[in-house]
Amino acid sequence: MDFDFSPIVDNWGFLAQGLLITIELSVATIVAATLVGIALGLGRVYGPGWLRVPLTFYVDSMRAIPVLVVLVWTFFAFPLVTGITLPPFWAALAALTLHISAFVSEILRAGLNSIRPGQVRAARALGMSGAQIVRKILFPQAVVRMLPAYGSLLSVTIKDTAIASVIAVPDLMRQSETIAAQNYAPIEVFTTAMLAYFLILFPVTRAVEAFYRRVAHLGRS
Amino acid sequence: MTLDWNVVWQYRGDLAQGVLLTIALTVATMAIAVPGGIAVMLMRQSHVRAVSFAGTVFVEFFRNVPLILLVYWAFYVLPILTDIQFSAFATGLVAMCLNVSAYNAETFRAGVNSIRKGQLEAAMAMGMSRSQAMRKVVLPQAVRRILPVLASTWVSLFKDTSLVSVIAVGELAHTALQIRSQTFRVLEMLTAMAAIYWLLGYPQAKIVDWIHRKYGVTE
Amino acid sequence: MESTAAGLRKNGDQPPVVQYDGVVKRFGSLTVLNGVSARVNKGEVVCLIGPSGSGKSTLLRCTNALEIADGGRVVFEGQPLPKTEGELRHVRQRMGMVFQNFELFPHMTALENVAVGPITILGANPAEARAKAQMLLEKVGLGAKGGNHPSALSGGQQQRVAIARALAMDPDVMLFDEPTSALDPETIGEVLNVMKRLAEEGMTMVVVTHEMSFARRVANWILVFDEGRVIEEGPPAQIFDAPTHARTQSFLSHLGWNG
Repeated sequence: MDFDFSPIVDNWGFLAQGLLITIELSVATIVAATLVGIALGLGRVYGPGWLRVPLTFYVDSMRAIPVLVVLVWTFFAFPLVTGITLPPFWAALAALTLHISAFVSEILRAGLNSIRPGQVRAARALGMSGAQIVRKILFPQAVVRMLPAYGSLLSVTIKDTAIASVIAVPDLMRQSETIAAQNYAPIEVFTTAMLAYFLILFPVTRAVEAFYRRVAHLGRS
Repeated sequence: MTLDWNVVWQYRGDLAQGVLLTIALTVATMAIAVPGGIAVMLMRQSHVRAVSFAGTVFVEFFRNVPLILLVYWAFYVLPILTDIQFSAFATGLVAMCLNVSAYNAETFRAGVNSIRKGQLEAAMAMGMSRSQAMRKVVLPQAVRRILPVLASTWVSLFKDTSLVSVIAVGELAHTALQIRSQTFRVLEMLTAMAAIYWLLGYPQAKIVDWIHRKYGVTE
Repeated sequence: MESTAAGLRKNGDQPPVVQYDGVVKRFGSLTVLNGVSARVNKGEVVCLIGPSGSGKSTLLRCTNALEIADGGRVVFEGQPLPKTEGELRHVRQRMGMVFQNFELFPHMTALENVAVGPITILGANPAEARAKAQMLLEKVGLGAKGGNHPSALSGGQQQRVAIARALAMDPDVMLFDEPTSALDPETIGEVLNVMKRLAEEGMTMVVVTHEMSFARRVANWILVFDEGRVIEEGPPAQIFDAPTHARTQSFLSHLGWNG
C-alpha cells in the first residue's frame, strides 16, 4: 500500500475553504437552533394548551425524521411548493435549524422539569409572578443543567453539517469528496478529513464538559 | 404544477423493500453494537494501559467524526485493508457499528459508574462475592439507567441508516432518491420518503419517551 | 376557648395578624385539615407541634396560599386571602417564608439571594437593596459570606441566608416550615438563635417545629395538631407541663419530653 498525501498538500487552500464553510454553517446553525429551540421549549412548557399540541407534534416529528430527509426536502421539494429556491448554504442552515431546534427544545424542557418544585414554592412565597419565576429562577438553573446534553448536541450539529454535502454545500466533506475523486486518493483525503473533524469536535465537547464541571453547582438546588 | 401521487403506489414494492433494508440495518447494527459496546467498555477498564488507551481512542474517535464521512471512508478503506470485496450493505453496517459501538461503550460505562460505590460495599458487607454483588445489585440498577439511553440511541441509529444511501445501499432513502431521479416526481417522492420515515420513526420516538418515563431516574 | 385564651395572650386585645376560620384542606380523598381555627397576634411566636402528617405544614402553606384551602378561610390583617394569583402575590410579599430544605436559588450568591426579592418584585434600587441585603446577612451572622454561592455554605448557613432573604421583604409575619429538620445537629443551634433574636425583636412568627425546647422557651402560644385538627392550645407552660389531652401527652412522651 502506497499512500500519497500530495493531493492534500497541493489543494490545502481548497480544503481550508471547505473547513471554513463547515465552521460557518456550524456556528450559524447552533445560534439559530438555540434561539428557535428556546422559544419552542418555553412554548411547550409554559404556553397555552392550543400551542402545546402542535409544538409537541412538530418536535416529535423532527425526532422521527432523518436530518438527510429534511435537508433534501428543503433543498429540492420546498422550491417546488413555494417557488422560492434557496442557495445550498441557506437551505442547509434552514433544514439543520428546523431539525436541531427540536432537540434544543427537548433538552430545555427536560432541564426545566428537573428543577424541584420547592424552588417555585420559594419564589412564589417571595411574591414573584409566573414570568419572574421562569426568567429569574427556573431558566438560569435549567441552562446550567442542560449543558451536558447541549454539549452533545453541539457535537451532533457539527457532525450533521457534513450531511449538507449531499445538497452541494461546499463544506469540508464536499471539498474532500471532490479532491478525493479528482486525484483518486480517497483514503488519504478522507482520513485527513476525519482527523480535521476530530480536531474540531474533540476540543468542543471537552470544553463544554470542563465548563459544566465548573458551573454545575449553580444548577444544583 | 401537476402532482402525480400515483408514483408512490406504483413503486410500493421498491419502497417496501427499502423499508425492510432500513429495519434490517438498524437491527443488525444494534445486535452487533451492544456486545461491541460492552467489549469496548471492558477494554477501557483493563489494567493493561495499552488496552484501556485503545478503548478510549476508539470511543473518542468514532464519536467525534461525522458518520457520513465514516461511511465513505469505510467504502474505500475496507476493501484495501482487508482485501475482501464488501457489499454496500456490509460496508454500511461496519461504519454504523463502529459509530454505535463507541456510543454504547460510553453508555454502559456511565450506567455502571452511576451506581454508588456504597451499593457494592453494602452487598459485599452482606457476604456476597464481588461478582455476586455486581450481578445481583449493581447490574440490575445499571440496566435501569442504560435502557433509556440505549432506546434513544436506537432511534438515532434508525435515522442515521439513511446516510448509507450515499454508497448506494438500497435502503429507504436511497430507494426513494433513485425513484425520484428516474421519474422526476421530486416533490411526490421526497414527501413520501419523509412520510414513511415519519410513520416508522414517530411511534419509536413515543416508545422512547415511555421508556424514559418508566425507567428514568430523577435525582 | 377562644374568649378565655384571648385575654391571656400577647396583644390579645388587638386584631390578629393571621386568623384561621375552620380551614379545611383535602388532597384527593385524604382530608389533611379538618376545620382548623386559630389566631396569631401581633408580635407573637406561635409554634405548631404534633406528629408528622397531622397538618401543621399544610396550614402554614395555606397561610400564604401556596395551598388553597378547600373550606373555611384565612384572614390576613383583617382581609380574607384574595382569590386571584395577582392579588395573592401582594399578600405573599408581606409574609416571609422559610423552608425545610432552604430552597436558596443555587445560581445566585448569598447576597443576590437576599437582594433578589426587593429588586425584582418591589423594584427597589439595586444598590440600596444590596446594601440592605449585606446588613441582613450581618444580622444573621454571615456578613463575610455574601459572595458565596449556596453550594459553598453549610446547611445552617444556607438556612440563615434563607431567613435573611425572607426578611429582606420587610414582612409582617414570618412562616417557618420545619426550618431545622434538614440540618446537621451541630448547626441547628445557630438557626434557632437567629429565630430567637427575631422573636425578641417582636417579629410575628408562625413556626412548624419538632424542636420542643425551642417551642418551650421562645413560643408565646402552642397549637397541638393531630389528624388535621388542633386538639389543644395554650401557653407553653400549660402545654408542656400540664397537657390536658391524652394525645398531647402521648406525643410529648414519644419525643422523650418530661418537663
